[in-house]
Amino acid sequence: MKRETIHIKELISDLQDFYFLSVQGLLGLVKRPFYSKDVIEQMDYSGAGSFFIILLISLFIGMALSLQLSAELSAMGFKMYIGKIVGVSIIREIGPVLTALVYAGRVGSGVASELGSMVLGHQVDTLRVFGVDPVRKLVTPRVLGCLIMLPALTIIGDTVSIVGGYYIAVFVSHQSGSVYWSSIRDVLNFENVVSGSIKPFIFAYLIACISCYMGLSTKGGAVGLRRATTRAVVASFIMIIVSDFVLTRVLFYILGFSL
Amino acid sequence: MIVFDRVSFSYGMQQVLKDVSFSIPFNQKVAILGGSGDGKTTLLKLILGLLRPDSGRIIIAGEDITDKKEDELREIRTKFSIVFQEGALFDSLNVKENVAFGLREYTKMTEGEIDKKVRELLGEVGLEHAIELMPEELSGGMLRRVAIMRSLAAFDPKMFLYDEATTGLDPVNADIICKLILDLTKGGKGFIIVTHKVFDALRLAERFMFLKNGAIIFDGNRDQLMQSPFVEIQVFLKELTPPSEASSR
Repeated sequence: MKRETIHIKELISDLQDFYFLSVQGLLGLVKRPFYSKDVIEQMDYSGAGSFFIILLISLFIGMALSLQLSAELSAMGFKMYIGKIVGVSIIREIGPVLTALVYAGRVGSGVASELGSMVLGHQVDTLRVFGVDPVRKLVTPRVLGCLIMLPALTIIGDTVSIVGGYYIAVFVSHQSGSVYWSSIRDVLNFENVVSGSIKPFIFAYLIACISCYMGLSTKGGAVGLRRATTRAVVASFIMIIVSDFVLTRVLFYILGFSL
Repeated sequence: MIVFDRVSFSYGMQQVLKDVSFSIPFNQKVAILGGSGDGKTTLLKLILGLLRPDSGRIIIAGEDITDKKEDELREIRTKFSIVFQEGALFDSLNVKENVAFGLREYTKMTEGEIDKKVRELLGEVGLEHAIELMPEELSGGMLRRVAIMRSLAAFDPKMFLYDEATTGLDPVNADIICKLILDLTKGGKGFIIVTHKVFDALRLAERFMFLKNGAIIFDGNRDQLMQSPFVEIQVFLKELTPPSEASSR
Protein backbone atom coordinates (compact mmCIF):
# COMPACT_ATOMS: atom_id res chain seq x y z
CA MET A 1 0.00 0.00 0.00
CA LYS A 2 1.27 3.47 -0.82
CA ARG A 3 2.55 5.66 2.01
CA GLU A 4 0.07 8.46 1.10
CA THR A 5 -2.87 6.04 1.19
CA ILE A 6 -1.82 4.83 4.65
CA HIS A 7 -1.52 8.42 5.91
CA ILE A 8 -5.00 9.28 4.60
CA LYS A 9 -6.43 6.12 6.19
CA GLU A 10 -4.73 7.01 9.49
CA LEU A 11 -6.10 10.57 9.36
CA ILE A 12 -9.66 9.34 8.77
CA SER A 13 -9.23 6.76 11.51
CA ASP A 14 -7.91 9.46 13.91
CA LEU A 15 -10.89 11.73 13.20
CA GLN A 16 -13.26 8.84 13.72
CA ASP A 17 -11.56 7.91 17.02
CA PHE A 18 -11.71 11.54 18.18
CA TYR A 19 -15.41 11.70 17.38
CA PHE A 20 -16.15 8.47 19.27
CA LEU A 21 -14.06 9.55 22.27
CA SER A 22 -15.84 12.92 22.43
CA VAL A 23 -19.29 11.34 22.26
CA GLN A 24 -18.47 8.55 24.72
CA GLY A 25 -16.82 11.01 27.10
CA LEU A 26 -20.07 12.98 27.19
CA LEU A 27 -22.33 9.91 27.38
CA GLY A 28 -20.33 8.79 30.41
CA LEU A 29 -21.97 11.65 32.31
CA VAL A 30 -25.32 9.88 32.20
CA LYS A 31 -24.22 6.23 32.37
CA ARG A 32 -22.92 4.14 35.24
CA PRO A 33 -20.35 3.69 36.68
CA PHE A 34 -19.63 7.22 37.95
CA TYR A 35 -16.17 7.98 39.21
CA SER A 36 -17.10 10.89 41.49
CA LYS A 37 -13.76 10.85 43.36
CA ASP A 38 -11.94 11.31 40.05
CA VAL A 39 -14.27 14.20 39.12
CA ILE A 40 -13.46 16.00 42.39
CA GLU A 41 -9.73 15.42 41.83
CA GLN A 42 -10.03 16.87 38.33
CA MET A 43 -11.99 19.87 39.55
CA ASP A 44 -9.33 20.53 42.14
CA TYR A 45 -6.51 20.19 39.62
CA SER A 46 -8.10 22.17 36.82
CA GLY A 47 -10.07 24.70 38.84
CA ALA A 48 -8.29 25.45 42.08
CA GLY A 49 -4.92 24.96 40.37
CA SER A 50 -5.71 27.52 37.65
CA PHE A 51 -7.40 30.04 39.94
CA PHE A 52 -4.50 32.38 40.75
CA ILE A 53 -3.01 32.47 37.26
CA ILE A 54 -6.40 33.38 35.77
CA LEU A 55 -6.96 35.96 38.49
CA LEU A 56 -3.61 37.60 37.73
CA ILE A 57 -3.92 37.57 33.95
CA SER A 58 -7.53 38.80 34.01
CA LEU A 59 -6.64 41.69 36.30
CA PHE A 60 -3.85 42.94 34.06
CA ILE A 61 -5.82 42.44 30.85
CA GLY A 62 -8.69 44.47 32.31
CA MET A 63 -6.29 47.24 33.34
CA ALA A 64 -4.46 47.26 30.00
CA LEU A 65 -7.73 47.37 28.06
CA SER A 66 -9.04 50.23 30.18
CA LEU A 67 -5.75 52.10 29.76
CA GLN A 68 -5.79 51.73 25.98
CA LEU A 69 -9.41 52.88 25.78
CA SER A 70 -8.78 55.81 28.11
CA ALA A 71 -6.04 57.11 25.85
CA GLU A 72 -8.15 56.87 22.70
CA LEU A 73 -11.54 57.89 24.09
CA SER A 74 -10.19 60.85 26.13
CA ALA A 75 -8.79 62.36 22.94
CA MET A 76 -12.23 62.10 21.34
CA GLY A 77 -14.10 63.25 24.43
CA PHE A 78 -15.87 59.90 24.95
CA LYS A 79 -14.25 58.94 28.23
CA MET A 80 -17.65 58.07 29.72
CA TYR A 81 -17.84 55.05 27.40
CA ILE A 82 -14.81 53.31 28.91
CA GLY A 83 -16.98 51.21 31.25
CA LYS A 84 -19.35 50.20 28.49
CA ILE A 85 -16.62 49.12 26.06
CA VAL A 86 -14.60 47.35 28.77
CA GLY A 87 -17.75 45.54 29.95
CA VAL A 88 -18.93 44.42 26.52
CA SER A 89 -15.51 43.28 25.32
CA ILE A 90 -14.70 41.45 28.56
CA ILE A 91 -18.06 39.74 29.05
CA ARG A 92 -18.72 38.79 25.45
CA GLU A 93 -15.28 38.13 24.05
CA ILE A 94 -12.02 38.67 25.92
CA GLY A 95 -13.03 37.05 29.19
CA PRO A 96 -14.22 33.67 27.82
CA VAL A 97 -11.46 33.42 25.18
CA LEU A 98 -8.61 34.53 27.41
CA THR A 99 -9.64 32.27 30.29
CA ALA A 100 -10.02 29.34 27.88
CA LEU A 101 -6.59 29.96 26.36
CA VAL A 102 -4.89 30.11 29.77
CA TYR A 103 -6.86 27.04 30.89
CA ALA A 104 -5.90 25.12 27.73
CA GLY A 105 -2.25 25.98 28.24
CA ARG A 106 -2.22 24.77 31.81
CA VAL A 107 -4.87 22.05 32.05
CA GLY A 108 -4.78 20.81 28.45
CA SER A 109 -1.05 20.18 28.52
CA GLY A 110 -1.32 18.59 31.97
CA VAL A 111 -4.10 16.22 30.92
CA ALA A 112 -2.34 15.21 27.69
CA SER A 113 0.96 14.51 29.42
CA GLU A 114 -0.68 12.65 32.32
CA LEU A 115 -2.72 10.39 30.06
CA GLY A 116 0.22 10.02 27.67
CA SER A 117 2.49 8.78 30.43
CA MET A 118 -0.26 6.41 31.58
CA VAL A 119 -0.40 4.98 28.05
CA LEU A 120 3.36 4.60 27.82
CA GLY A 121 3.52 3.04 31.29
CA HIS A 122 0.82 0.48 30.33
CA GLN A 123 -1.53 1.87 33.00
CA VAL A 124 -4.31 2.33 30.43
CA ASP A 125 -3.83 -1.28 29.28
CA THR A 126 -4.00 -2.36 32.92
CA LEU A 127 -7.37 -0.58 33.27
CA ARG A 128 -8.67 -2.48 30.25
CA VAL A 129 -7.38 -5.77 31.65
CA PHE A 130 -9.35 -5.03 34.83
CA GLY A 131 -12.44 -4.49 32.67
CA VAL A 132 -12.51 -0.74 33.31
CA ASP A 133 -13.40 1.45 30.34
CA PRO A 134 -10.60 4.06 30.09
CA VAL A 135 -13.04 6.58 28.60
CA ARG A 136 -15.37 6.35 31.60
CA LYS A 137 -12.54 6.35 34.12
CA LEU A 138 -10.21 8.89 32.54
CA VAL A 139 -12.07 10.99 29.97
CA THR A 140 -15.51 11.57 31.53
CA PRO A 141 -14.17 12.94 34.86
CA ARG A 142 -11.90 15.32 32.95
CA VAL A 143 -14.74 16.47 30.67
CA LEU A 144 -17.00 17.07 33.66
CA GLY A 145 -14.22 18.77 35.63
CA CYS A 146 -13.62 21.16 32.73
CA LEU A 147 -17.35 21.75 32.13
CA ILE A 148 -17.77 22.85 35.75
CA MET A 149 -14.54 24.73 36.35
CA LEU A 150 -13.95 26.70 33.13
CA PRO A 151 -17.30 28.57 33.23
CA ALA A 152 -16.75 29.29 36.96
CA LEU A 153 -13.24 30.58 36.28
CA THR A 154 -14.56 32.68 33.39
CA ILE A 155 -17.07 34.42 35.68
CA ILE A 156 -14.33 35.11 38.23
CA GLY A 157 -11.94 36.27 35.50
CA ASP A 158 -14.57 38.61 33.99
CA THR A 159 -15.26 40.14 37.40
CA VAL A 160 -11.57 40.70 38.12
CA SER A 161 -10.99 42.22 34.66
CA ILE A 162 -13.86 44.67 35.16
CA VAL A 163 -12.47 45.62 38.58
CA GLY A 164 -9.04 46.15 36.96
CA GLY A 165 -10.69 48.33 34.33
CA TYR A 166 -12.41 50.31 37.09
CA TYR A 167 -9.11 50.97 38.85
CA ILE A 168 -7.55 52.47 35.71
CA ALA A 169 -10.70 54.37 34.68
CA VAL A 170 -11.11 55.98 38.10
CA PHE A 171 -7.59 56.40 39.47
CA VAL A 172 -5.62 56.94 36.25
CA SER A 173 -8.16 58.43 33.82
CA HIS A 174 -10.05 60.21 36.60
CA GLN A 175 -13.46 59.13 35.39
CA SER A 176 -16.36 58.99 37.82
CA GLY A 177 -16.72 55.58 39.50
CA SER A 178 -20.51 55.74 39.43
CA VAL A 179 -20.49 56.34 35.65
CA TYR A 180 -18.21 53.33 35.18
CA TRP A 181 -20.42 51.04 37.26
CA SER A 182 -23.62 52.26 35.69
CA SER A 183 -22.11 51.48 32.25
CA ILE A 184 -21.20 48.00 33.49
CA ARG A 185 -24.77 47.51 34.78
CA ASP A 186 -26.08 48.52 31.34
CA VAL A 187 -24.01 45.91 29.54
CA LEU A 188 -24.95 43.15 31.98
CA ASN A 189 -28.13 42.47 30.00
CA PHE A 190 -29.55 39.08 29.02
CA GLU A 191 -28.01 38.97 25.52
CA ASN A 192 -24.48 39.81 26.67
CA VAL A 193 -24.57 37.48 29.64
CA VAL A 194 -25.90 34.57 27.55
CA SER A 195 -23.37 35.29 24.84
CA GLY A 196 -20.51 35.19 27.34
CA SER A 197 -21.86 32.22 29.29
CA ILE A 198 -22.32 29.69 26.49
CA LYS A 199 -18.80 29.98 25.13
CA PRO A 200 -16.94 28.62 28.20
CA PHE A 201 -18.97 25.39 28.10
CA ILE A 202 -18.09 24.79 24.45
CA PHE A 203 -14.43 25.71 25.02
CA ALA A 204 -14.26 23.43 28.09
CA TYR A 205 -15.64 20.48 26.14
CA LEU A 206 -13.20 21.07 23.27
CA ILE A 207 -10.18 21.44 25.58
CA ALA A 208 -11.06 18.28 27.54
CA CYS A 209 -11.74 16.11 24.48
CA ILE A 210 -8.72 17.30 22.50
CA SER A 211 -6.33 16.89 25.44
CA CYS A 212 -7.69 13.46 26.38
CA TYR A 213 -7.54 12.28 22.79
CA MET A 214 -3.99 13.50 22.27
CA GLY A 215 -2.90 11.93 25.56
CA LEU A 216 -4.55 8.58 24.91
CA SER A 217 -3.11 8.35 21.41
CA THR A 218 0.48 8.93 22.57
CA LYS A 219 3.06 6.69 20.90
CA GLY A 220 6.83 6.58 20.95
CA GLY A 221 8.30 7.31 24.38
CA ALA A 222 9.43 10.72 25.63
CA VAL A 223 9.43 12.27 22.15
CA GLY A 224 5.90 11.00 21.55
CA LEU A 225 4.81 12.44 24.88
CA ARG A 226 6.29 15.84 24.02
CA ARG A 227 4.55 15.72 20.63
CA ALA A 228 1.19 14.77 22.18
CA THR A 229 1.39 17.58 24.75
CA THR A 230 2.32 20.18 22.14
CA ARG A 231 -0.42 19.01 19.81
CA ALA A 232 -2.99 19.14 22.60
CA VAL A 233 -2.19 22.78 23.38
CA VAL A 234 -1.88 23.92 19.75
CA ALA A 235 -5.07 22.12 18.64
CA SER A 236 -6.97 23.48 21.67
CA PHE A 237 -5.80 27.05 20.93
CA ILE A 238 -6.83 26.79 17.28
CA MET A 239 -10.19 25.25 18.10
CA ILE A 240 -10.92 27.91 20.76
CA ILE A 241 -10.22 30.74 18.31
CA VAL A 242 -12.10 29.16 15.40
CA SER A 243 -15.09 28.08 17.48
CA ASP A 244 -15.19 31.53 19.10
CA PHE A 245 -15.78 33.12 15.72
CA VAL A 246 -18.40 30.53 14.74
CA LEU A 247 -20.18 30.85 18.10
CA THR A 248 -20.12 34.63 17.95
CA ARG A 249 -21.70 34.53 14.52
CA VAL A 250 -24.36 32.03 15.61
CA LEU A 251 -25.11 33.88 18.85
CA PHE A 252 -25.38 37.17 17.00
CA TYR A 253 -28.01 35.55 14.81
CA ILE A 254 -29.89 33.84 17.65
CA LEU A 255 -29.79 36.78 20.08
CA GLY A 256 -30.63 39.33 17.39
CA PHE A 257 -27.55 41.57 17.63
CA SER A 258 -27.63 44.03 14.76
CA LEU A 259 -24.45 44.52 12.72
CA MET B 1 -5.06 -23.36 25.41
CA ILE B 2 -3.83 -20.28 23.53
CA VAL B 3 -3.74 -20.68 19.75
CA PHE B 4 -2.22 -18.23 17.28
CA ASP B 5 -3.07 -19.08 13.69
CA ARG B 6 -1.01 -17.15 11.11
CA VAL B 7 -1.28 -13.91 13.08
CA SER B 8 0.17 -10.73 11.60
CA PHE B 9 0.23 -7.32 13.23
CA SER B 10 1.65 -3.93 12.35
CA TYR B 11 1.83 -0.49 13.93
CA GLY B 12 1.04 1.77 10.97
CA MET B 13 3.57 0.88 8.30
CA GLN B 14 5.85 -1.06 10.63
CA GLN B 15 5.11 -4.77 10.59
CA VAL B 16 5.75 -6.29 14.02
CA LEU B 17 4.48 -9.88 13.68
CA LYS B 18 4.39 -11.92 10.47
CA ASP B 19 2.27 -15.06 10.15
CA VAL B 20 2.98 -16.20 13.69
CA SER B 21 1.47 -19.58 14.62
CA PHE B 22 1.77 -21.54 17.86
CA SER B 23 -0.31 -23.11 20.59
CA ILE B 24 0.38 -22.97 24.33
CA PRO B 25 -1.57 -24.98 26.95
CA PHE B 26 -2.58 -22.95 30.03
CA ASN B 27 -0.39 -25.08 32.31
CA GLN B 28 2.84 -24.69 30.33
CA LYS B 29 5.79 -22.55 31.45
CA VAL B 30 6.91 -20.64 28.39
CA ALA B 31 9.62 -18.05 27.85
CA ILE B 32 9.50 -15.88 24.77
CA LEU B 33 12.93 -14.50 24.03
CA GLY B 34 13.93 -11.82 21.59
CA GLY B 35 15.49 -8.41 21.20
CA SER B 36 13.86 -5.06 21.78
CA GLY B 37 11.19 -4.23 19.22
CA ASP B 38 10.84 -7.81 18.01
CA GLY B 39 7.18 -8.00 19.03
CA LYS B 40 7.32 -9.74 22.43
CA THR B 41 5.06 -7.31 24.33
CA THR B 42 2.78 -7.02 21.27
CA LEU B 43 2.27 -10.77 21.47
CA LEU B 44 1.09 -10.56 25.09
CA LYS B 45 -1.26 -7.70 24.24
CA LEU B 46 -2.73 -9.75 21.37
CA ILE B 47 -3.40 -12.65 23.76
CA LEU B 48 -5.43 -10.29 25.98
CA GLY B 49 -7.23 -8.68 23.07
CA LEU B 50 -5.66 -5.31 23.86
CA LEU B 51 -4.58 -5.18 20.21
CA ARG B 52 -6.40 -6.55 17.19
CA PRO B 53 -4.40 -8.52 14.59
CA ASP B 54 -4.27 -7.37 10.96
CA SER B 55 -4.82 -10.96 9.84
CA GLY B 56 -4.99 -14.46 11.29
CA ARG B 57 -6.95 -15.82 14.25
CA ILE B 58 -6.37 -15.89 18.00
CA ILE B 59 -8.21 -18.58 19.94
CA ILE B 60 -8.31 -18.56 23.74
CA ALA B 61 -9.86 -21.52 25.58
CA GLY B 62 -11.63 -22.53 22.37
CA GLU B 63 -13.09 -19.06 21.74
CA ASP B 64 -12.02 -17.03 18.74
CA ILE B 65 -11.29 -13.58 20.20
CA THR B 66 -10.06 -11.98 16.97
CA ASP B 67 -13.18 -9.92 16.33
CA LYS B 68 -14.63 -9.72 19.82
CA LYS B 69 -15.75 -6.36 21.19
CA GLU B 70 -14.27 -4.78 24.32
CA ASP B 71 -17.19 -5.90 26.52
CA GLU B 72 -16.97 -9.48 25.25
CA LEU B 73 -13.24 -9.62 26.02
CA ARG B 74 -13.78 -8.91 29.71
CA GLU B 75 -14.47 -12.57 30.49
CA ILE B 76 -11.46 -13.76 28.45
CA ARG B 77 -9.13 -11.36 30.28
CA THR B 78 -10.09 -12.74 33.68
CA LYS B 79 -8.40 -16.00 32.65
CA PHE B 80 -5.05 -14.24 32.78
CA SER B 81 -3.02 -12.28 35.24
CA ILE B 82 -0.65 -9.88 33.54
CA VAL B 83 2.25 -7.94 34.98
CA PHE B 84 3.48 -5.29 32.61
CA GLN B 85 7.02 -4.01 32.40
CA GLU B 86 7.93 -2.03 35.54
CA GLY B 87 4.63 -3.01 37.15
CA ALA B 88 2.36 -0.38 35.58
CA LEU B 89 1.00 0.62 39.00
CA PHE B 90 -1.38 3.58 38.99
CA ASP B 91 0.73 6.61 39.90
CA SER B 92 -2.09 8.40 41.68
CA LEU B 93 -2.90 5.50 44.02
CA ASN B 94 -0.90 4.15 46.93
CA VAL B 95 0.08 0.49 47.27
CA LYS B 96 -3.11 -0.42 49.13
CA GLU B 97 -5.36 1.27 46.59
CA ASN B 98 -3.45 -0.33 43.70
CA VAL B 99 -3.87 -3.84 45.10
CA ALA B 100 -7.48 -3.11 46.04
CA PHE B 101 -8.29 -1.76 42.56
CA GLY B 102 -9.57 -5.06 41.13
CA LEU B 103 -11.39 -5.90 44.36
CA ARG B 104 -13.31 -2.63 44.23
CA GLU B 105 -14.19 -3.12 40.55
CA TYR B 106 -15.08 -6.80 40.64
CA THR B 107 -16.27 -7.69 44.13
CA LYS B 108 -18.74 -6.36 46.66
CA MET B 109 -16.33 -6.69 49.58
CA THR B 110 -16.62 -4.24 52.45
CA GLU B 111 -13.78 -1.82 53.26
CA GLY B 112 -12.76 -4.04 56.17
CA GLU B 113 -12.63 -7.15 54.00
CA ILE B 114 -10.66 -5.32 51.31
CA ASP B 115 -8.16 -4.07 53.88
CA LYS B 116 -7.72 -7.59 55.28
CA LYS B 117 -7.29 -9.14 51.83
CA VAL B 118 -4.78 -6.48 50.72
CA ARG B 119 -2.68 -6.95 53.90
CA GLU B 120 -2.79 -10.70 53.39
CA LEU B 121 -1.58 -10.44 49.79
CA LEU B 122 1.14 -7.93 50.60
CA GLY B 123 2.19 -10.05 53.54
CA GLU B 124 2.82 -12.97 51.16
CA VAL B 125 5.48 -10.93 49.37
CA GLY B 126 6.86 -9.23 52.47
CA LEU B 127 5.46 -5.80 51.66
CA GLU B 128 2.89 -5.23 54.38
CA HIS B 129 4.99 -2.34 55.67
CA ALA B 130 4.72 -0.59 52.28
CA ILE B 131 0.92 -0.48 52.26
CA GLU B 132 0.67 3.31 52.48
CA LEU B 133 3.57 4.10 50.13
CA MET B 134 3.10 5.65 46.70
CA PRO B 135 4.51 3.85 43.61
CA GLU B 136 7.29 6.45 43.22
CA GLU B 137 8.58 5.48 46.68
CA LEU B 138 9.02 1.81 45.75
CA SER B 139 12.09 0.11 44.33
CA GLY B 140 11.89 -1.81 41.03
CA GLY B 141 11.57 -5.16 42.82
CA MET B 142 8.84 -3.87 45.13
CA LEU B 143 6.92 -2.44 42.16
CA ARG B 144 6.88 -5.85 40.45
CA ARG B 145 5.80 -7.64 43.63
CA VAL B 146 2.94 -5.21 44.21
CA ALA B 147 1.92 -5.54 40.56
CA ILE B 148 1.88 -9.34 40.79
CA MET B 149 -0.30 -9.22 43.92
CA ARG B 150 -2.60 -6.63 42.32
CA SER B 151 -3.11 -8.91 39.33
CA LEU B 152 -4.01 -11.78 41.66
CA ALA B 153 -6.28 -9.91 44.05
CA ALA B 154 -9.57 -10.07 42.17
CA PHE B 155 -9.17 -13.00 39.79
CA ASP B 156 -8.19 -16.62 39.96
CA PRO B 157 -6.25 -16.70 36.67
CA LYS B 158 -5.57 -19.81 34.61
CA MET B 159 -2.28 -18.43 33.41
CA PHE B 160 0.20 -15.67 34.24
CA LEU B 161 1.67 -13.31 31.68
CA TYR B 162 4.87 -11.46 32.57
CA ASP B 163 6.32 -8.68 30.47
CA GLU B 164 10.05 -8.31 31.25
CA ALA B 165 9.38 -9.20 34.87
CA THR B 166 13.04 -9.16 35.90
CA THR B 167 14.44 -6.57 33.51
CA GLY B 168 16.25 -3.72 35.21
CA LEU B 169 16.42 -5.50 38.57
CA ASP B 170 19.56 -6.34 40.52
CA PRO B 171 20.31 -10.08 40.93
CA VAL B 172 18.82 -10.21 44.45
CA ASN B 173 15.50 -8.67 43.42
CA ALA B 174 15.44 -10.67 40.17
CA ASP B 175 15.87 -13.81 42.29
CA ILE B 176 12.95 -12.79 44.55
CA ILE B 177 10.72 -12.25 41.51
CA CYS B 178 11.77 -15.56 39.93
CA LYS B 179 10.97 -17.43 43.16
CA LEU B 180 7.59 -15.70 43.36
CA ILE B 181 6.82 -16.62 39.74
CA LEU B 182 7.68 -20.27 40.46
CA ASP B 183 5.68 -20.25 43.71
CA LEU B 184 2.59 -19.06 41.87
CA THR B 185 2.79 -21.99 39.43
CA LYS B 186 2.76 -24.63 42.17
CA GLY B 187 -0.96 -25.22 41.68
CA GLY B 188 -0.29 -26.41 38.13
CA LYS B 189 -0.78 -23.00 36.51
CA GLY B 190 1.43 -21.96 33.66
CA PHE B 191 2.91 -18.70 32.52
CA ILE B 192 4.33 -16.89 29.56
CA ILE B 193 7.25 -14.65 30.34
CA VAL B 194 8.66 -12.39 27.66
CA THR B 195 12.21 -11.41 28.38
CA HIS B 196 15.63 -10.87 26.93
CA LYS B 197 17.31 -12.26 30.05
CA VAL B 198 18.25 -15.84 29.10
CA PHE B 199 19.47 -16.67 32.58
CA ASP B 200 16.07 -16.01 34.15
CA ALA B 201 14.23 -17.66 31.26
CA LEU B 202 16.24 -20.89 31.66
CA ARG B 203 15.58 -20.88 35.37
CA LEU B 204 11.83 -20.48 35.00
CA ALA B 205 10.58 -22.01 31.77
CA GLU B 206 10.28 -25.44 30.17
CA ARG B 207 9.54 -24.26 26.65
CA PHE B 208 11.33 -21.49 24.78
CA MET B 209 10.33 -19.48 21.76
CA PHE B 210 12.59 -16.99 20.03
CA LEU B 211 11.20 -14.02 18.13
CA LYS B 212 13.26 -12.33 15.47
CA ASN B 213 11.91 -9.61 13.17
CA GLY B 214 8.34 -10.58 13.95
CA ALA B 215 8.73 -14.31 13.24
CA ILE B 216 9.27 -17.27 15.57
CA ILE B 217 12.63 -18.69 14.51
CA PHE B 218 12.87 -21.20 17.36
CA ASP B 219 10.37 -23.17 19.45
CA GLY B 220 11.70 -25.94 21.66
CA ASN B 221 12.89 -27.13 25.05
CA ARG B 222 15.97 -26.18 27.06
CA ASP B 223 18.34 -28.70 25.43
CA GLN B 224 17.24 -27.73 21.94
CA LEU B 225 17.73 -24.06 22.83
CA MET B 226 21.24 -24.64 24.15
CA GLN B 227 22.21 -26.48 20.98
CA SER B 228 20.43 -24.16 18.59
CA PRO B 229 22.56 -23.21 15.59
CA PHE B 230 20.87 -19.82 15.15
CA VAL B 231 23.38 -16.99 15.47
CA GLU B 232 20.84 -14.74 17.22
CA ILE B 233 20.21 -17.36 19.89
CA GLN B 234 23.93 -17.97 20.33
CA VAL B 235 24.38 -14.25 20.96
CA PHE B 236 21.71 -14.40 23.69
CA LEU B 237 23.25 -17.52 25.23
CA LYS B 238 26.57 -15.70 25.65
CA GLU B 239 24.92 -14.07 28.70
CA LEU B 240 25.39 -17.42 30.45
CA THR B 241 29.12 -17.51 29.80
CA PRO B 242 31.45 -15.87 32.37
CA PRO B 243 33.23 -12.83 30.83
CA SER B 244 36.72 -14.42 31.05
CA GLU B 245 35.58 -17.50 29.12
CA ALA B 246 33.74 -15.42 26.57
CA SER B 247 36.81 -13.27 25.85
CA SER B 248 39.10 -16.29 25.51
CA ARG B 249 36.86 -17.78 22.81
